[in-house]
Amino acid sequence: MKSKKPITIVTGFLGSGKTTLLSRLPVGTEGVAVLVNEFGEVGLDHHLLRRVNERTTLLGNGCVCCTRREDLVESLLELLSMESGGEVRELRRVVVETSGLADPAPILFTIFEHPVLRHHFEIDRVVATVDAVNGNLHLDANPESTKQVSAADFVVLTKRDLATETEAHALETRLQNVNPAARILHSGDDINALFDHDVTVRDAPEAPSDPHSGGTDSVSLTFDGAVDWAAFGVWLSMLLHARGEEVLRVKGMLDVGETGPVILNGVQHTIHPPDHLDEWPDGMRGSRLVFITRGVAAGEILASLEAFAGLLGASPLALRAVEAPDADR
Amino acid sequence: MCVLCGEFVSGPHWTDRNHEDAVRAGSISEGEYQTLRRRGRIGRAGVVSAVLKHYGLKLDEWSGARYVLRNKKGRTEIVGDLSGVWTAAEKMLGFAPDPLDMSLLEKMRT
Repeated sequence: MKSKKPITIVTGFLGSGKTTLLSRLPVGTEGVAVLVNEFGEVGLDHHLLRRVNERTTLLGNGCVCCTRREDLVESLLELLSMESGGEVRELRRVVVETSGLADPAPILFTIFEHPVLRHHFEIDRVVATVDAVNGNLHLDANPESTKQVSAADFVVLTKRDLATETEAHALETRLQNVNPAARILHSGDDINALFDHDVTVRDAPEAPSDPHSGGTDSVSLTFDGAVDWAAFGVWLSMLLHARGEEVLRVKGMLDVGETGPVILNGVQHTIHPPDHLDEWPDGMRGSRLVFITRGVAAGEILASLEAFAGLLGASPLALRAVEAPDADR
Repeated sequence: MCVLCGEFVSGPHWTDRNHEDAVRAGSISEGEYQTLRRRGRIGRAGVVSAVLKHYGLKLDEWSGARYVLRNKKGRTEIVGDLSGVWTAAEKMLGFAPDPLDMSLLEKMRT
């Protein structure tokens, strides 16, 4: 069977450099479709460039992240039919740009729930751009910005040349604290890697040096043994039902006593279909999970897992940062 | 919508999807997939019951496609997946069962 087509989501606050990042997409990349929010000054001369007007349908249960992006469904179905009709030779990847105020969760939800799309596409990674000059301001003032960073697998620090070294460094530490699971890149780095399927995003999350950063809390944890997958699924789905909007992100890998780990990745209520691997990446066996929460203390998550230890078959252990080099922000 | 039962069908819940890719890729057979899937569902029903017994509720797996949630007064709700289970439990109890609720955790520890 043909594997699913990867989707890269590019998100970031207003003016944080999403479009600039897209315009640096390797020119002439064949089979890469780009769905943008508005035609700005993107120098993308591309017949696979589509404009989508954000159009959402709120589903019955009324939760904001469980909204369906109809515009996106239409565009992606159109791309699929273009491919099967031979207008496009091979669709290799789709890049979706969100608007600056968008919460990326509905996009993930749309793809995972749609009866056709979920068999053809997978969300490969979420890239968030953060402005090195105004990033701190955005994180302080706008909950959307924090959501975008929490949802990201890669954070690209843009306009680095306009910020002082200390500013940029402090922001970088803050971002790593908000989302210990993300890899931080600079816009000067080779961004091709962001759109390349071979680059793995399955890094083990780092323990945050200062987990209480900017209104969010995060905890990195492991377990003292293999975890019962059924019990973990029950615990997590129960947590997300009760506290979905307060749990911004769950990411990591879980030792469920099989030959490889289960890769877990969730943004608010939306969980990627868990991927059961055949072997452990870099041969290191052991669960590593990160929770990013807002309004729920990391300690509560640990206490809950501890109380569920009898069902889970293992007890949680919080991972502490080995060193906190930039704690004096 | 399912024409037999009139229920809206949404995508499978993530807890039901762990062997989906394996069977699509052909690395496990369809029969094996159904066995694993059913086993997972029965396992989850047992865990849910162990948690919800503290609220007087019980969950059974039914035929690989449904879960049946009951309370002690005999009220039942039939749902498709865990997401439906928590919604039904919330409806029966009047509040969402919360794994961070200290009184629940206290009972789970004993």
